[in-house]
Amino acid sequence: MHRLTTLLSGIFLVFLTSWLGLVAYPALHLGRLTPVPDPDNGGSFPPTYGGQAIAGQRVYATEGCISCHSQQVRQSSVTTSDVDRGWGLRPSVARDYLRDSTAFLGSRRLGQDLSNVGVRRPDAKWHLIHLYHPSAVCEGSVMPCFSHLFLIRKIQGQPSDEALNLTGDDAPKEGYEVVPTAEAKNLVAYLLALRHDYPLPEAPVKKNGAAK
Amino acid sequence: MSDHTLPHHDDKSGHLHVDIKAIDASVRLPVIILFGNAIHWLVIASLLSLIVSVKLIAPGFLGGVSFLTYGRLAPMARDLMLYGWASQAALGTGIWLMARLCGRPLGGEHSGGFGGELLRTLVISATVLWNLAVLLGTLAILAGYSSGVEWLEYPSWASAMLLLSFLLIGIWAVLLFDRRGTGRAVVAQWYLVAAFCWFPWVYGTANLLLVWKPIQASAQGPIQSWYCGSLLALWLLPVALASAYALLPRLLGSHLNRRNLATLSFWMLLLLGGWNGMDRLIGGPVPAWMTSAGVVAGVLFLIPVFMISMNLLGMDRKEAIVAGSISARFLLMGLYALICVGSIGALASLPSVSGAVRFTAFTEAKTQLWILGAISLPLFAVLYESFPQLLGRDCWSPVLTGRHYILTLVGIAMLISLLLLGGLFTGIALADPTVSFLNITSYSYPFHLMECVAQLLLLIAALILGANITRALAGDYLLNKQPRK
Ligand code: HEC
Repeated sequence: MHRLTTLLSGIFLVFLTSWLGLVAYPALHLGRLTPVPDPDNGGSFPPTYGGQAIAGQRVYATEGCISCHSQQVRQSSVTTSDVDRGWGLRPSVARDYLRDSTAFLGSRRLGQDLSNVGVRRPDAKWHLIHLYHPSAVCEGSVMPCFSHLFLIRKIQGQPSDEALNLTGDDAPKEGYEVVPTAEAKNLVAYLLALRHDYPLPEAPVKKNGAAK
Repeated sequence: MSDHTLPHHDDKSGHLHVDIKAIDASVRLPVIILFGNAIHWLVIASLLSLIVSVKLIAPGFLGGVSFLTYGRLAPMARDLMLYGWASQAALGTGIWLMARLCGRPLGGEHSGGFGGELLRTLVISATVLWNLAVLLGTLAILAGYSSGVEWLEYPSWASAMLLLSFLLIGIWAVLLFDRRGTGRAVVAQWYLVAAFCWFPWVYGTANLLLVWKPIQASAQGPIQSWYCGSLLALWLLPVALASAYALLPRLLGSHLNRRNLATLSFWMLLLLGGWNGMDRLIGGPVPAWMTSAGVVAGVLFLIPVFMISMNLLGMDRKEAIVAGSISARFLLMGLYALICVGSIGALASLPSVSGAVRFTAFTEAKTQLWILGAISLPLFAVLYESFPQLLGRDCWSPVLTGRHYILTLVGIAMLISLLLLGGLFTGIALADPTVSFLNITSYSYPFHLMECVAQLLLLIAALILGANITRALAGDYLLNKQPRK
């Protein structure tokens, strides 16, 4: 160990092992996965995101939803509780993420797993109210209010049909309405698009599953 | 033996005319800048962590403001701990130890092709750049420009600045090792060289593939886990271990018994460290062999951890000496924390345990013990040891030092046990699908409440350390007589 080069080459070689296994291998194999065709309607699995959902991923990233929510249903060899809890019909696999800009896998579940939240909660209005004030639809929620993604404005003529239907303490003052900003709408479009409920060769969905 | 010699290894060559004073003078400014700033980030990070835990018991606290939501503050706090505090203190540690161990002043005539003053200016500018990058990165998360990748939230330009700054400091450290004046290299130097080579590699690769030019997301999971594991086990931990290997024998007035053990554990740690993060993906959307690799690496990681601890804790030590040296106490506690981290990590890698606790506070406990325990405690030891030598006087207030030590340990112990227990409870409850998720959230309330207390203790500890270092640096101006020994 007298010479720098000896030490450096040793370090380099040893370090290369994990780099090859966990960086190069994923980059070359997982990074080249392709969608599979959807036999029913000529589309593909995983389905593509619409423009709003694509933009919604940025909001998901910058608001730090990943601090509290994961997006992965685990393999049944490790635990069955993710599927049992109704967080997904089948375990998530690498191919499920290939439409995402960032894989929001997450490491903590202070809130539920969201990989199939679009299946579980298909109602955009619910999501908007939930984001505006989580406790309004979920008593005692510790999820923060994302009210800064909304505008409170004076009603001009007809109330907007986008206005949230809020009651009680959350309701704005008489003559005012709460409307979502583009960011809120994009985020909700993204949440609704979160669904790993289609079959893939490596992750079939059982026939009796409520997949649609 | 003069008070100012470092850990001198068995110097076979024997022609050692190392001018410790000149070495210390040459690194004084960069090391003080690095540690001083690291501590102010530590205070801010502790404050943010406290606010973040309060938000879990009172979600409305500081609510309704975009930049104060949990999702922005939590990554800010974590990144400040990692880059503002730990990595920066590790850089300071690296510079000081490397210059001392190599017997070369920074920018001295022996430092190779680089001109003395020029090199020193470069290193000092790099430390300023580092802090600028941390500040701007933090503000970017606050303002909603986070990349959304865990631990790599800083936007591209901020992470590029961070990397550049690291390279400006790190290249020097490696070159210095090459031109060392002390013959045979010691274990501490290997760890430092390894750490200084890894950070740019790990940080560069991960940023490139996840933030600068993101690779298709199906491949991102393993890379992200590799980054988190490597950052801790291959950059910060080696620096912490370097300080233990360099300082502990001298502080204890003892010497390492088994050099072979040190060599073997060094290479084992290197080999396994990169795989260590894979426990973050057990059962996740990755090929099955990666899950297995995660399990195996998590368990095997215990081996180097035990070898290193046996090596260092196996030295003869007299309790009286330990009690009299704050640095020795921090180093020993850091080693105990490392043993706990290794054991918790091995446990959490077992598939059945991982299945239950992976997304709970249990995982958070492990991460916190890594950062606050195995890594931060040895860095505190270096701080307490280096400043009196750099400033040339006994600069610490014994009262503040003692309080900092106690509060830090109590805070860490309390936080970790709460997170572990809370994680176990939620893990067990989650495994039973008949218990509703919201019900489980409400079980966690008492744990979250007590976590706030633990975070408060850690904040107070950080503030005391801040006061101690302010007092140490201002000492020349404020006190006419030197503090008692
Ligand atoms: C402090 C942690 C926290 C953060 C940050 C957070 N959430 Fe939540 N989330 C929760 C908790 C706790 C719940 C369960 C209670 C509830 O429904 O409000 C939840 C529930 C949800 C649900 C309902 C899931 C279901 O199955 O009913 C959705 C959707 C959701 N969150 C989306 C988001 C989005 C989008 C973000 C980022 C803008 C976010 N969350 C940020 C904690 C958090």
